[in-house]
Amino acid sequence: MTAAPIVRLDNLRFTWPGQSAACLHIAELVVDAGERIFIYGPSGSGKSTLLALLGGVLTPQHGRVRVLGADLSSMRPSLRDRFRSDHVGFLFQLFNLVPYLSVIENVVLPCRFSARRRAQAVSAGNSVQGEALRLLAHLDIDASLLTRRVTELSVGQQQRVAAARALLGRPEIVVADEPTSALDADRQEAFLQLLLRECDAVAATLLFVSHDRRLARAFTREIDLAAINRADREPQGS
Amino acid sequence: MSHLLYLAGRSAWNRRLTLGLTLIAIALSVTLLLGVERVRHDARESFAQSVSGTDLVIGARTSPVQLMLYSVFRIGEATNNVKWESFQHLAAHPLVAWAIPLSLGDSHRGYSVVGTSTAYFDHFRYSGEQTLTFSAGTRFANLFEAVVGAEVAERLKYRAGDRIVLNHGASDIGAEHADKPFTVVGILARTGTPVDRSVHVPLEAIEAIHLDWQGGAPMPGVAIPAEYVRKFDLTPKNITAALIGLKSRAAVFRMQRYSNEYEGEPLMAVLPGVALDQLWQVVGIAERVLLAVSGMVVAVGLAGLVAVVLASLNERRRELAILRSVGARPREIFLLLMIEAVGITLAGAVAGVILLAILTATLAPVAAARYGLIIEQRYVASGELVLLGAVVAMGVLASLLPGYRAYKLSLADGLTPRL
Amino acid sequence: MQKAFSKRRALLKLLAGSCLLTPVVSQAADKSGYKVGDRLPQKPPAAAGFAETKWEALMPADWNPFKDLQALNLGGLSDADPRAINALEQLRAALDNAPIVPSLHGARIRIAGFTVPLESARGQLSEFLLVPYFGACIHTPPPPSNQIIHVTTAKPYKSDQQIDAVWISGELQTIRSETGVGNASYRMKADAVEPYVRPTPVR
Repeated sequence: MTAAPIVRLDNLRFTWPGQSAACLHIAELVVDAGERIFIYGPSGSGKSTLLALLGGVLTPQHGRVRVLGADLSSMRPSLRDRFRSDHVGFLFQLFNLVPYLSVIENVVLPCRFSARRRAQAVSAGNSVQGEALRLLAHLDIDASLLTRRVTELSVGQQQRVAAARALLGRPEIVVADEPTSALDADRQEAFLQLLLRECDAVAATLLFVSHDRRLARAFTREIDLAAINRADREPQGS
Repeated sequence: MSHLLYLAGRSAWNRRLTLGLTLIAIALSVTLLLGVERVRHDARESFAQSVSGTDLVIGARTSPVQLMLYSVFRIGEATNNVKWESFQHLAAHPLVAWAIPLSLGDSHRGYSVVGTSTAYFDHFRYSGEQTLTFSAGTRFANLFEAVVGAEVAERLKYRAGDRIVLNHGASDIGAEHADKPFTVVGILARTGTPVDRSVHVPLEAIEAIHLDWQGGAPMPGVAIPAEYVRKFDLTPKNITAALIGLKSRAAVFRMQRYSNEYEGEPLMAVLPGVALDQLWQVVGIAERVLLAVSGMVVAVGLAGLVAVVLASLNERRRELAILRSVGARPREIFLLLMIEAVGITLAGAVAGVILLAILTATLAPVAAARYGLIIEQRYVASGELVLLGAVVAMGVLASLLPGYRAYKLSLADGLTPRL
Repeated sequence: MQKAFSKRRALLKLLAGSCLLTPVVSQAADKSGYKVGDRLPQKPPAAAGFAETKWEALMPADWNPFKDLQALNLGGLSDADPRAINALEQLRAALDNAPIVPSLHGARIRIAGFTVPLESARGQLSEFLLVPYFGACIHTPPPPSNQIIHVTTAKPYKSDQQIDAVWISGELQTIRSETGVGNASYRMKADAVEPYVRPTPVR
C-alpha cells in the first residue's frame, strides 16, 4: 500500500491577472514522500509560478493543489500561510537572507512564525538556537560567522545559511528555486551534496528547480516543466 | 506579535539615519505645538493671578486693556495721569473700603519703580486672595526707603540695608537720581506676579526725587540735597493709577459709573476680570492661528515620515518576500510596517515632550524676569495631553498608508518580486 | 495603482489635517454666541428643592423708576436739554438705589444669568456677580442694583470664557447696605453653578 502523495496537482490552470493566455496548465503531477525531484525549467517557463502555487502563495483559477493531503486551493489565505510556514521550507537563488538580521537570527526566523516548526526544532531536546547551530555546523558554517551581518558573507556562505533556515524545524517539503545558479561552478556540486544530505537527515522531500541539467544526476526523478505544461501549446485565449 | 515588534525594531535600527531625521522632525513639531499651548495657557494664568480682590482699577481715560497692562502688569506706559485730588475724592466715596495709589514711570536697572502708600501692603492681593508677605525686612516707613520684589532681590543680589539709585524713565539708559539713593528695608516673598519685579517706594519719594527736575531732566543749577527735601511739601500732584476695593462688591457698577462720570478730569474705571477678558479676545485670534500653524507643522513632520517609510518599501520588497516565505502572512506584513511608523511617531512625540521640558527649564527664568510670564515646569499638562493624543492618532492614521501599500505589494509579489 | 495610491494619500492627509484642526476651529467659533443685551429664556428643568425664579421677581412689584420719565415727553426733548439730563440723572440714581424684595431673604432659588468675574484662579471662578443680560459691564448701562446677585461658590466653577451663561442654585440673602449709601443688595452662597444650555426649540 503506497502512502499518500506529498504533493498532488490535478488539472491545474493558472493565469496571471491581466494576461489572456494561461501561464501554467498541468494535467497531473504527483510527488511521493522522500522523493528528490529535479524540475527542469528555463527562465520564463513558469517555474516560479509553480513554486508559488505549491507554497500556497498563489491560487489557481482551475484545478487543485494538494500538499500533505490538504487542499490548498480551498483554504482561507491565512490558513494557507500558516500551512506554508508549518510544512514548507524555501530556498531561493539570491537574496535569501534578511539584511538587517544576523546569521543566527536569520536561521531561526521560521520558528518565530510557526509554532509547529519551533516545537519540532526543540523536540530533540535542544533549544531552537542549539538546533540552528547544529544545522549550521553540518552545512560547514563556521561558528565565528554566527553573529556577523549577512552582508559580510560570501554568496556560498549565504546559500548555506539559507539552507539551514529552510531545514530548521523539520519541514516536510523543501522547495529550492535555483539555489546554485549564483554559485561558482566548482561550488555548485558541493552545495548540492550538502543539501541532499541534510534533506535526508530530516526526511524532507526536496523539490529542486533549475535550468542546469547537469545537476539532475543526483535526483530520483527529473521532470521537464515544458513537457508537462500544456499552456504553451494552447491557442491564445483558451 | 512580539516577533513583529522585534523585526520592526531591527529593521528600523538598520535605517536609523533616515528614520532618525524624521524622528527629529516630529519631535521638533511636537515641541512647537505643545510649547505654543503651554505658553498660551500659562500666560493667561500669569495674568489672571496677578490681581485679586481688587474691584476697580482707576486711571486716565485710555483703553481698559492698556490700563491693566501698565498699572497691574507693568507693561507699557501710561499716557496720562490722575490728579491727586481726583484720587482723594474717589477714595473718600462711602462705597470705597480701601484705595491704593500707584505712581509709575521710574525704573531701577530695568525693573519698574512703583510709588505707593502703605495701603499697598495691607490690601493688595494676588492669586486667590493671598496677601503680600516679607521674606526679609519690613515695609517702608520713611521717605527714602524701598521694598523690592523677590525677583529684583534675587537677580541683583540685594539684601536689607543695601543702597540703590533709581532711574528716570523706564529704561536703564536715562538720567539717574543719583543724589537721592534709597535704602532697601524690605524684600517681598515670591508671588509669581509682576510684584516680584517691582521696586516699591513711598509716593512722597517719587515727588521728592523729581523736585529739582523739570520735564524729565534735572534743572541746571538747582540741586536740592536729600536732607532738605523733607522740608518741601511732598504731597504728590499726580498718580498713574489706583486700585480700589469696595465695601460691597455688588456695588461695583455704581462705583464704576461714578468714576467714569467724575467731572474733575476724564477718568476710567475698569473691572479687572472684564478687562482681561477683552485682552484675551484680542490675543485669542493670534493664539488660534499659532495653534493651527503648529498643527500644520506636525502634519508636515508626519508626512515626511510616511514618505520615508514608503520610499523604503521598494527596496524592501525582497525582504518582504523572504518573510512571506518563512511564513509571514500579508496581515503581518501590514502590521510590521505600521508598527515601524507608529513607533517612530511615538518616539518623536516623547522626544518632543522631553525637549520641551528642557526648553522650559532653561527659558522659564528669563520669561519670568523679563515679562512676568510664569511658565510651569512640568512634563505634560492635562490640556497638552489632548494635543499629544491627537498627534499620536494622526501618526497611527498616517501609518496605515505604508502598511496598506506593503500589504498590497506583498500580496502581488508573492515569493518572487518582479523588480 | 499609483494614481489610486496618491489619491488615497491625499485623502488620508486631509483627514489627518482636519483631525488636528477640529479642536482649534471649534474654539474659534464663539462658544457664547450671545449678543449684547441678550437675555436668557428662563425655562429650567425641574431641580429638587429650588424654585425657578425670574429676574423680575427680584424687583418689588410696585417699583417703577421710569414713572417720572414717562411724565416727560422725552422724545420731544433734545439730548442737551437740562430737563432731559436731569431726568436721566434721577433715573440713574433710582436704579442705583433700587429696592430689594425683603421676603426673598432665605429663599432657595434657581436663576440663570451671565457672570461678571470677580475672583478667578486657574480657570476656576469662585466669586462673581450674576446679571440678567450679556455685556452688562462693557457696552450697555449696568443693571439696577436689585438685578445683581453677588455670588460666591464653595466649589469653583470651571470657566474658560470670562463671561459665561450659567444657572445658579442656592439660598438668596439680602444684605443690608454697609455703606450708608444705597439700598440693600442680594447675595448668594451658591450650592451649584451649572452651565446654561440653550433649550432646543419646540418644532
